[in-house]
Amino acid sequence: MFDAIDKQLLKEVADLEAIPKGAYNIRKNGKLLGREVSANINIENNPEGNGIIIRVAPNTVNESVHIPVILSQAGLHDTVYNTFIIGEDSDVTIVAGCGIHCGGSKSEGHEGIHEFRLERGARMRYVEKHVALGEGTGKRILNPTTRVFMKQDSYAEMELTQLGGVDHARRVNEAEVGPGASLMITERVLTEKDQQAKSENELILSGEGSRANMVSRSVIKGDSRQDFYVNLIARAKCFGHIECDAIIMDNGVNETIPALKAQHPDAELTHEASIGKIASDQLMKLMSLGLDYDEAVNRIIQGFLK
Amino acid sequence: MIEIKDLRFIAPESDAEDRRRAIVDGIDFRFEAGKFYGITGPNGSGKTTLAKLIMGIVEPTSGTILMEGRDIGNLSVAERARAGISYSFQNAARFKGITFRDLLSIAAGTEDEDKLAAIIARVGICSMDFLDKPVDAKLSGGEIKKIELATTIARNPKVAIYDEPDTGIDLWTIGPMVDLLKREQREYGVTTLVVSHNRAFLEAADAIVLIRDGGIAYSGGFEGALPILTDLSVCGYGDICEGESDVRCYR
Repeated sequence: MFDAIDKQLLKEVADLEAIPKGAYNIRKNGKLLGREVSANINIENNPEGNGIIIRVAPNTVNESVHIPVILSQAGLHDTVYNTFIIGEDSDVTIVAGCGIHCGGSKSEGHEGIHEFRLERGARMRYVEKHVALGEGTGKRILNPTTRVFMKQDSYAEMELTQLGGVDHARRVNEAEVGPGASLMITERVLTEKDQQAKSENELILSGEGSRANMVSRSVIKGDSRQDFYVNLIARAKCFGHIECDAIIMDNGVNETIPALKAQHPDAELTHEASIGKIASDQLMKLMSLGLDYDEAVNRIIQGFLK
Repeated sequence: MIEIKDLRFIAPESDAEDRRRAIVDGIDFRFEAGKFYGITGPNGSGKTTLAKLIMGIVEPTSGTILMEGRDIGNLSVAERARAGISYSFQNAARFKGITFRDLLSIAAGTEDEDKLAAIIARVGICSMDFLDKPVDAKLSGGEIKKIELATTIARNPKVAIYDEPDTGIDLWTIGPMVDLLKREQREYGVTTLVVSHNRAFLEAADAIVLIRDGGIAYSGGFEGALPILTDLSVCGYGDICEGESDVRCYR
């Protein structure tokens, strides 16, 4: 079913060595490669035929869904619209992600537009990894979008990762957080060579007692560029925090613009942002423990993106 | 153990780039193996710079540093660490995504839980639940100094340099900290250099090295240093100082 490249990509994006347990939907080069549903998690094609609908039944706990996408066909640009409906009081993990293997000179790309509807009290952990491998010269393009709609007292934790290999990325995250609901987003992006990544985020805290925390960690190597924008908008008594840190190495360029917008008098919004090289006191500490300069840099970057 | 000869470090003045000042001005000294030294002196006298020169954190303008008779002047910080010098920073680095366990594992060269636990027990001033604490901006000043101390000791150094180890440490921990450094000296023969203003460390030292204006003003026993230390604690700038409301101190 899987060739060696498929297996490598699946390992990278979803930590999968074999067919996963529970529900899954694996897409390869724009086509369905395998699907399994469980008693509580249903996966079906959407009416438009351009994506899937994943429904998690209410009160489903400790279950997971894997929906990796792999791409190894030169010239293919694949777009999917996936909808996730997470039932009341459920608690699930969704592992998504896209792996591109580029062996030729033609570009390859994937756009995954993921919409999440979290019902009252639902809890979701969403893990999305994007990787690109292969010796080809074609551009690898990954443009993920997430849209999250959170009802009362729901909770979402999203880990969004792109660690190297991707030439162009436009990453969009939008969320509307309802009363008592909490959203935690951690985005980690590493670019190198002449790669470019842009992350655009709009988080709306619309319900009383809602919370959002967005952490962005960027490492910009070589001649690459990363831009990070976030609008944190408060429309109720709520708490929101943004933490965005960028480490620039070599000739990297970064623009970081966090914006806090309070449209309610009881909003509490904070942010911390930093751009800079690796702090010399961190390097010095690790070198004083016996690590060479390069080893110290690697440890700091590894930790930063962990 | 460590011998420094005519060591000099000249740097631009912080408020005038075109003027240069000798921060360390031709120091000759021999730190004997297994001894405990208290390095003290007024603020800005060159104590920390001397410590950093020995570790290789700053490069000397001229002079020689020998360790066990070998010139270590060309060794990097990492090479000096591997040669057996360990350094505890006055202002400890804070990271993102690195835990105490990570630092301790690097320092000790092992990830073995039992061995890390043994180091924590040996250090004694931080508990096991410290292990998975991120070494980040959220740590208190005291906590991070304890971590700094533990990673210094975990290196099993021949020479341990502590720059102001008691900064941010509560009064009740200073005694155990002094005991710990003395125990390390006694049981492992560690040559110990403590840069400090704290009497507890100075009293515990085998010898005091008093630095003033980039040179050694005194070296010897604590009792002999007392008159000079007392003299230094009296401010001689009363006639130009404008009192508490004047933010600049001329000392």
